Amino acid sequence: MFFLKEEAKVITLHPSYFGPNMREYLITRLNEEEEGRCTGDHFVICVMDMVDIGEGRVIPSSGHAEYTIKYRAIIWKPFRGETVDAIVTSVKPTGIFTLAGPLSVFIARKNIPSDIKWEPNTVPPQYTDHADQVIEKGTSLRLKILGVKPDVAAINAIGTIKEDYLGPL
Amino acid sequence: MLLRLPPSLHYPITITSLLKKEGDDVEKDEALLWYVYEAVNEELDLWGVLKPVLRKYPTRFESTVDGQIGEWKISKGDVIHGPVDVVEITEPCAHEVQFGGMCAECGKDMTESSYNTEVMDSVRAPIHMSHDNTTLTVSQKEATRVEEDAKRRLLASRRLSLVVDLDQTIIHATVDPTVGEWKEDKDNPNYEALKNVRQFRLIDDGPGMRGCWYYIKLRPGLEDFLQNVAELYELHIYTMGTRAYAQNIADIIDPTRKLFGDRILSRDESGSLTAKNLQRLFPVDTKMVVIIDDRGDVWRWNQNLIKVSPYDFFVGIGDINSSFLPQKQELGATNKAALKAAKTEAKEHNVNGTAEQPADENQVSALEQLVTMGGGDNPRLLQEQTNAQEETILHQVEDRPLLQKQKELDAEDDASADSSESTSSIDEPLENRQRHHLLEDHDRELFQLQARLEQVHLQFFEEYDKRRSSELGGRVAALRGEKPTFKDKDVDLKLVPDVKEIMPQIKSRILGGIVVVFSGVLPLGTDTQNADISLWAKTFGIVIASKINRRTTHLVAGRNRTAKVREATRYPDLKIVTTQWLLDCLTNWRHLDEEPYLLPVHPDDRGELLSPGSRELAETSWLSSSDEATGSVLTDDDGNQESEDLFKDTGLDSTSPIGYDEDEQAAVHDELKEFLGSDDESESDTDAWGEEPAAASKKRKRGEGNDGADDEESIEDEDEDQQGSRLSQRIKRSYERSTGLREVSSVAPVEQQERDDKVETGDRPDDGYPENPDEDEDDLEREMLAAFEDDEYDENPEETTENV
Repeated sequence: MFFLKEEAKVITLHPSYFGPNMREYLITRLNEEEEGRCTGDHFVICVMDMVDIGEGRVIPSSGHAEYTIKYRAIIWKPFRGETVDAIVTSVKPTGIFTLAGPLSVFIARKNIPSDIKWEPNTVPPQYTDHADQVIEKGTSLRLKILGVKPDVAAINAIGTIKEDYLGPL
Repeated sequence: MLLRLPPSLHYPITITSLLKKEGDDVEKDEALLWYVYEAVNEELDLWGVLKPVLRKYPTRFESTVDGQIGEWKISKGDVIHGPVDVVEITEPCAHEVQFGGMCAECGKDMTESSYNTEVMDSVRAPIHMSHDNTTLTVSQKEATRVEEDAKRRLLASRRLSLVVDLDQTIIHATVDPTVGEWKEDKDNPNYEALKNVRQFRLIDDGPGMRGCWYYIKLRPGLEDFLQNVAELYELHIYTMGTRAYAQNIADIIDPTRKLFGDRILSRDESGSLTAKNLQRLFPVDTKMVVIIDDRGDVWRWNQNLIKVSPYDFFVGIGDINSSFLPQKQELGATNKAALKAAKTEAKEHNVNGTAEQPADENQVSALEQLVTMGGGDNPRLLQEQTNAQEETILHQVEDRPLLQKQKELDAEDDASADSSESTSSIDEPLENRQRHHLLEDHDRELFQLQARLEQVHLQFFEEYDKRRSSELGGRVAALRGEKPTFKDKDVDLKLVPDVKEIMPQIKSRILGGIVVVFSGVLPLGTDTQNADISLWAKTFGIVIASKINRRTTHLVAGRNRTAKVREATRYPDLKIVTTQWLLDCLTNWRHLDEEPYLLPVHPDDRGELLSPGSRELAETSWLSSSDEATGSVLTDDDGNQESEDLFKDTGLDSTSPIGYDEDEQAAVHDELKEFLGSDDESESDTDAWGEEPAAASKKRKRGEGNDGADDEESIEDEDEDQQGSRLSQRIKRSYERSTGLREVSSVAPVEQQERDDKVETGDRPDDGYPENPDEDEDDLEREMLAAFEDDEYDENPEETTENV
C-alpha cells in the first residue's frame, strides 16, 4: 500500500558547498539518497517536497554543516493480502520468481493453480495450462502477497496466483 | 511430523495425563500432556536445618508445531527414561519450500524462535536448488521430487546432464587492453588470430569500479560442439566468475539461450569460493551428471568429471577468475604441491617452478599466491581474495602482459634475423620479414571432448537399455494386465546406471593396468600419490608407484638423466616416456603409442645397460655401488644431477654414480671392460683412472675430449662429420689405419679375468698415471682406438647398445 509519509533526514555538508546554491544541492542530495531506498520495512518511491530544511548547524571541530531536513515522500509498504502486478524474472520447477517493482516475490508451485503445469522442454521453460495461459520469463502476473519478511536492505515476499482473477494478465 | 521428547527433560518422567485426543487440532505452544519428574532439593526443615528432600514436580509438555493430532505413541502412566516419540502431528504445511526466511507455501516466518523451539523451522529446507537464486531453499523431499522429475524428463529424451565450466574450458578471457588495440590494427601479426575474439564491458567490475573490457576467445569448434552436445546432454554453466560475467559469456556463446536456458551458476550463488560442488546443482544424486572442467582439484576429482586440457589462447594470462580458487598445480616440470599443502608450498613453487612458465604468468601467480585457499566463511580472507582478484585484473590492464610478450618475440625475431643476415649472403630487407605472432589458434580439444562425451552417453544408455529390457521382461509377465504407468516410471529411475561407475569403467579399459613411476616430474617432497597429475591418472585406474620394479610399465620422466631413468633402462619392457605422453593419454582418453614420446636416454646412461648375458654382472656392480656410500644419491631424484655432471666431466661414463673407494673402482673396471670390450692396452689406463680422489681434478681436465669420444662410441659412428674436434679426427684417421689390435681382442677375456683377480686382492700394478696431459691424451687415444676396433669386429658391444 502507498503512503504519503513525513520523514526527517540529517544531511552533513562539506564547507566547500556553502554558498548560494546550497539549497539546490541539499535537494539533490536528498533525492539521490532517499529515492529508491529500501528501509527493510518499506520502499521510498518518491520524495514529494520539503516541509522544512531547517537551519544548518556547523559541527564544532570539523567545519561541516548539519541540516535536519523534513520532507514528505511517497512510500510503498507491501502488506500481506495485498494484490500487486509483477513481472516474471525466472521460472523454476519449484516455482516462479517475480518482481513487483522493487519487491521480489516468489510463487511456490503449491500456490500455482494445479492446471498450470511446469513445462521444462520449451525454450525458455514455462508454466502453462496448454491453453491461453503461459507463464515464462517476462510475463506480467497479478498475484496476492501471502507473506512479507523484512531483511536488512531488502524485502522478500511470498505470493500466490491460486485464486480468482489472479494469474497472467 | 513426529513429535519427540527433547533430551533436556529431567528423566525419568511419568506421564500423568494426555490432554488431546486423536483428531484434535493443536496450536504451537499448546499443552499436550502432563508429566511428573522427581528431583532432590535441599530444603530447610522445621528446625532450620538444610536437608535434601525428594520431591515430585508436575510439568506440562507443549507442542512445538501446529497441526492435527495423530496417533499417540505413549499412554497415561508410562514411565519414560529417555527421549522417545510422543505423538504424530499432521501439519497443514511442512514448510518444504522456503524463500528468504519464509515458508513459500504458507508465508509463515521460518526464523522465529521461542523458549519452546527445538530446531528452527528454517532447518527443514536446507538445500539450495535453483541456479541463480540463493534465497530459495527446499527440503530433501522436495529436492528429490524435483530431481526425479528432471531425470524422468531426461531419460525420456535420452539425455544426460552436463555441467560446463567456462574459463579455460570452453573460452579464454582476458582484460588486457592490448587485445583491443591489436584487433583494430590490421598490420598486427596477431590480427588474424584475434578476428573472432568477442568483447563486452562490465561496468561495476574492475579496478576502481570504472568498468573494463573483457576479451573473450571461444575455443575452436565451440559452436558446433555445443550444438551437438546439447542433443545428448542438458547443459549447465558452473563458473567461478561473477553473475554478470557469466551472463555476458552466455550471451556470446548462446545468444538464444536454447542451450543453457537459465541454468547458469556463478560464484555469487555457488556458496563456496574455493570449490565447486555438484551437490549444489544436483543435491540428491549425481548418477546422470557429467562435468567438464579444466581443473580437477576444485571438484575434488569427482568421479563425474572429465578433465579437459586448459585452453590457453592469450599466452600467459591464465584463468582470470581463479583468484579465489586454490593455487593451480602446474603439470609437467612445474608441477606443484598437493591441494591441501597449497598454502605451505606456495613459496616453494617460486623456487621450483620457473622453467616452463612464462615470466608474466609468474608474476600473476605470485599475486595469486597471496591468495591461498581457505574457508569461504572467513570475511577477512574473502576481502583479501577480492582484493587479489581486483589486483589480478588491474595487473593485466596496466601491465599488458601480452604486449610485453609480443615485444619479446619481436626482439627474438630481430636477433635471429640479424644473425641470419650476417651468416647468409642474401640481403633481405627487414620490413618484408614476417613478424612472428604471439597468439596461435590450433586447439583441437573440443573435437576430442565431443567424441568422449558421445562415448559416455552411448555407454550410459546402452547399459540403461540393457537393464531396462531385462527388468521389464520379467515384470511384464508378472504384471500382465495391470497398468504399468506410474510404477513403470519408478522402475525406470531405479534402473538408471551411474555415470560414476560407467566413466571409470571406460577409462580403466583404456589405461588400466598401467603402473607408472614418476621421475623428475614432481618437486621433491611432494606426495606423489596426491599430486594433481597423480589423482588425475588414478581416475583412469593407473597405479602410481614410487619405486621401479617388475610391475612398472612406464617411467614418466620430467627430466633426463635421473637415477630412475638409469634404473629403468635395466628393465627391457619398461618404457621411458616424457610427461607429455601421460598428459596426452589422459586428455585424449587413449593409450597412445609411446614411440613419439620416448625419452631420448642419454647415451651415457645407456652405457650401463647390459646385454642379457652380462646382466648378472651388471646388477652386481650396480648393487655394489648403490648399496654403499652412494645409496642416498641414487634414491634422490634431484640431488644426483650434480654428481652426474661431475662424472661426465671426469671422462668416465656416468654409468653409476661411483665414489672413489676401492670396491667401486673395481666395479668401474668391470663395467668399463664390459663396455669397451676387451683390450689389453687399457689396463694401465684404467688403473690410472682408478686413482685416489686427489686425481679427480686432473681427470676433469682431460675429460673434455674424452667425453666426446665416449659419445661416439656408444652411438657408433653416426655423424662423425659434425664432430670437428681434433680427437674425432684422430679417431677417423684410426679407421683408415689397420692395427694389430684386433688380434688382441681374442686374448682379452683371460686378461680381464686376471685383472679382476688383482683388483679383488687389492694388488694392483703401480700407478701409471701420466703427469703430462699430452701423454695422457695419447693414452686415451689408444684406448679409443681399441674400442673402435672392437666395435667393428666384436659383436657383443653392439648388442649392448642396442638393448639399451
